[in-house]
Amino acid sequence: MGAEMKNPWVGKSIKRKEDERLLKGQGQYMVDLIVPRMSHLGFVRSPHASATIKAIDASKALALPGVDTVMTGEDFRGWKSVLSDNSIPNLPGDITKRPEYWPLALDDVKYAGDAVAAVVARDKYTIEDAMDLIDIEYDVHIPVLDAEEALKPDAPLVFPEWGDNIIYHQSMKSGDVDGAFAAADLVVRERVPVHRTGGQPMEMRGCLAKYDAADGLVLWLTTQRPHIIRNLLAEYLDLPLDKVRVIQPKDMGGAFGTKAPFYREDIVASRLAMELGRPVKWIENRVESLTNMGQERDQVHYMEVAFKRDGSILAMRDKIISNIGDARTAIYVGFAMPFVGSMYMTNGNEVPAAEVDLTCVVTNKACITPVRAFGSYAGRIAFDRVLNIAARKLELDQLEMRRKHCIKTFPYDTPLGVHVDSGDFMGSLELAAEQVDYDRFRERQIIAWGKGQYLGVGIGMGIELSGMRSEVLVRMEHMPGFGSATVRFDAHGKVQVSEGDSPHGQGHETTFAQAVAGELGLTPDDVYVTYGDTMSTPFSCGTLGSRGASYTISAAVMAARALRPKMSAIAAHMLELPEETPQREDFLFLDGEAIWIPDDSKRVSIKKIAHVALQAPIHLPPGMEAGLDHTSYYEAPSTGMHSCSVHACTVEVFPETGRFQIMKYAVIDDSGVPINPMLVRGQINGGVGMGIGNATMEEYLYDAQGRQLTSTLRDYCIPSALDLPYVDVVHHNSPSPHTPLGSKGKGEGVPGTSSSCLVNAIENALLPFGVEVTSLPLRPEKIWRLVQAAKAAT
Amino acid sequence: MSTQIEITINGDRYQGTVENRTLLVDFIRETAELTGTHVGCASEGRCGACTVLMNGEAVKSCLLLAVQADGFEVQTIEGLANNGKLHPLQEAFWENHGLQCGYCTPGMLMALSEFLKNPSRDEHEIRTAMSGVLCPCTGYVHIVDSVKAAVDKLEAMDPHDREQLFAPIGEV
Repeated sequence: MGAEMKNPWVGKSIKRKEDERLLKGQGQYMVDLIVPRMSHLGFVRSPHASATIKAIDASKALALPGVDTVMTGEDFRGWKSVLSDNSIPNLPGDITKRPEYWPLALDDVKYAGDAVAAVVARDKYTIEDAMDLIDIEYDVHIPVLDAEEALKPDAPLVFPEWGDNIIYHQSMKSGDVDGAFAAADLVVRERVPVHRTGGQPMEMRGCLAKYDAADGLVLWLTTQRPHIIRNLLAEYLDLPLDKVRVIQPKDMGGAFGTKAPFYREDIVASRLAMELGRPVKWIENRVESLTNMGQERDQVHYMEVAFKRDGSILAMRDKIISNIGDARTAIYVGFAMPFVGSMYMTNGNEVPAAEVDLTCVVTNKACITPVRAFGSYAGRIAFDRVLNIAARKLELDQLEMRRKHCIKTFPYDTPLGVHVDSGDFMGSLELAAEQVDYDRFRERQIIAWGKGQYLGVGIGMGIELSGMRSEVLVRMEHMPGFGSATVRFDAHGKVQVSEGDSPHGQGHETTFAQAVAGELGLTPDDVYVTYGDTMSTPFSCGTLGSRGASYTISAAVMAARALRPKMSAIAAHMLELPEETPQREDFLFLDGEAIWIPDDSKRVSIKKIAHVALQAPIHLPPGMEAGLDHTSYYEAPSTGMHSCSVHACTVEVFPETGRFQIMKYAVIDDSGVPINPMLVRGQINGGVGMGIGNATMEEYLYDAQGRQLTSTLRDYCIPSALDLPYVDVVHHNSPSPHTPLGSKGKGEGVPGTSSSCLVNAIENALLPFGVEVTSLPLRPEKIWRLVQAAKAAT
Repeated sequence: MSTQIEITINGDRYQGTVENRTLLVDFIRETAELTGTHVGCASEGRCGACTVLMNGEAVKSCLLLAVQADGFEVQTIEGLANNGKLHPLQEAFWENHGLQCGYCTPGMLMALSEFLKNPSRDEHEIRTAMSGVLCPCTGYVHIVDSVKAAVDKLEAMDPHDREQLFAPIGEV
């Protein structure tokens, strides 16, 4: 076996392999797929947040030429409810209630946007006409929209049969919390509400279902997890797995977590295709997307933190009330996110004792779906609000505070059960301070304040999880956490990597090719990455939670390494090295060749090795099995793999208008060993943008009747290029002790940190007014009002 | 009601009888079968993924009816590369990781190709030029880098070749 060498392609910022087709307009997205005899599907959705369906009259729509059929919830009467043991989270704590849920609303609707009828027609313009012709009579009820209101005894009930609006409750306590609070020099108590916001990928959801005797059900779907959806779909439709194939198209226009659940539309399209005998295609429009997915955060935190005079933290308590909406979107059911968020409450801080009480409340809003930051966004904001208040009361500088209580020795186990394996917060904090020239900026700031100019500096720090291992995921979501990949030589000496995950912008075709090429002495051009088809990829839970560069790439690296002994044996045989030769099978794989280490003049091209293994097996060593492929499943040995990053930014706030300008934004990033640093920076930049958008612009707003006011991108404002800063990224990596390349995942954890960082900077700029940020998003109007209120108070 | 129209797209003529309500983007994607142009909003003109050039000017093809483009010359992402050779902007996006999921990229490239007629390295001007196209993946940082790199490439080009980049494709 060859000596372990540094992977020559890891750490190189090469151009992406997927880009040429995308730059030429030749991407293959869901909407681009066309199959013969295809009809189109559209959904009529409830305009009411809470109502009983009294009657649906589709006769006029059915009479319209070009309309194939109309399906309603009645067509599912007697069917199973969508949520099963396999699609509802199994978490510690009290889960006593299970919402009933049908692919189309049956009897009542629980949020504005609830799908009531499905229309199939030969073209999408006819669908619009037909949907207008469906008469639905509703008996409208008073909705309950606010989580704290929903907890009151006389609140309307989302599920009347439950008797209350609580779906999940969980308490965690570790350490002597009460003792710590009793001994504290300072206790800060603060209620921090964090609004409903999240993410919208540029490509909306969609699917194309086809059913025939030859292939069974084939569902092309915008999904982050084809294998899991296949299983759940087969379960719901009572089909054997050999008759269900889910395919994520080659290209998917982003997801950010929103395409991870099992959605009802997948079922409706599949059933319609089966019953009509025609392929059925559904492409979501943005109104549907904004009213049905991408909504997250929406928590109220009652934080209490006990401090020592020097700023160190003794203990924390938090009561979290999470508004999870109608709680019916399968796999997460709205409460998996706040659960994980509650576990991550102490973030990258050393907190000896903690107590967290989480209540997940159902309301007549859309169900929370996963969005980048996965439940932890609100907690980051809440914790930092309290830290800033404490810093002010203790007259401590925020950087000094963070130095005091950041995690310093790794691994560190938080009192809430998170194992933080590796990182360097102290080093990152110093680098962050350097990036914004912290001390000089503070001096400048004081002078500027004197002149009525409001400069601020903010620090954000965060731990980012890098996938979850089976130990956690099997219990929580009934699926494995391992990464899986098959590495297979073709007869021409190129390598196919087939991964179980399904990327959507992360650049797996490039980074996987880099990692595998380097292990096998090839170039990334020699390696092609395939994914997305449940019939040809190894089983896996999907692309989520920053697991690509930690779990899935590790599987590919392990599979590549597993091929080397066989390649060496074939090479030795081809070189006719006598059996008894010392170090007979010690080969290095470099530049397309297997090089014998004792004598590097003895070489065989890897292409020839593959040729022998596949096309000319008569030249294999006697008795050796033909073929050159291996499948690996990587499971992390540690309960937690994390990266520890620090953000710093400076701003100028204009109190007369409430506007602000970001002067400098820097990220000190930990990605372990970045496989392609340019792509890592891309992930960070995007995450910073999402966090800033969430913190300063975006909010899903509902009116008093529960109708969404933000159902277009003109109303739900995601940032344009004019709203975001340039980001300087400094790589300060702590290689993972657990992955074969030392790599860590990147993406999931960025928005929480960037939001905190910017909000801290704005609050810092307005210190002379004594402004405390009490809610988000920090739009200019809100900043202006906060300044006015603070002025009035003094 | 339907109307017979003819639109020249990337130098090729497409004739068809379309319902008057047919959006230009649907004509491009479905009649001309050029699927590089995308739709990312509720056809409200905010996401900009559908941006194309109409007689050289960047327009959002979800906000126009196909009949409004009758007789016009349209350039889509498929027409940006010249005989397989990438436009300097495409090259710059590739080299600087100016795209992730790629869904907004065609619109972004078309909007910026118009900007490059009067190029600037000023970051605010670049950001203004791209502000009609939303990209939730990149935070725009690498797109700004890409545009600056494209300006460098343009300046390094032979003036004649540069002019050719912006010449109208064919004649109506």
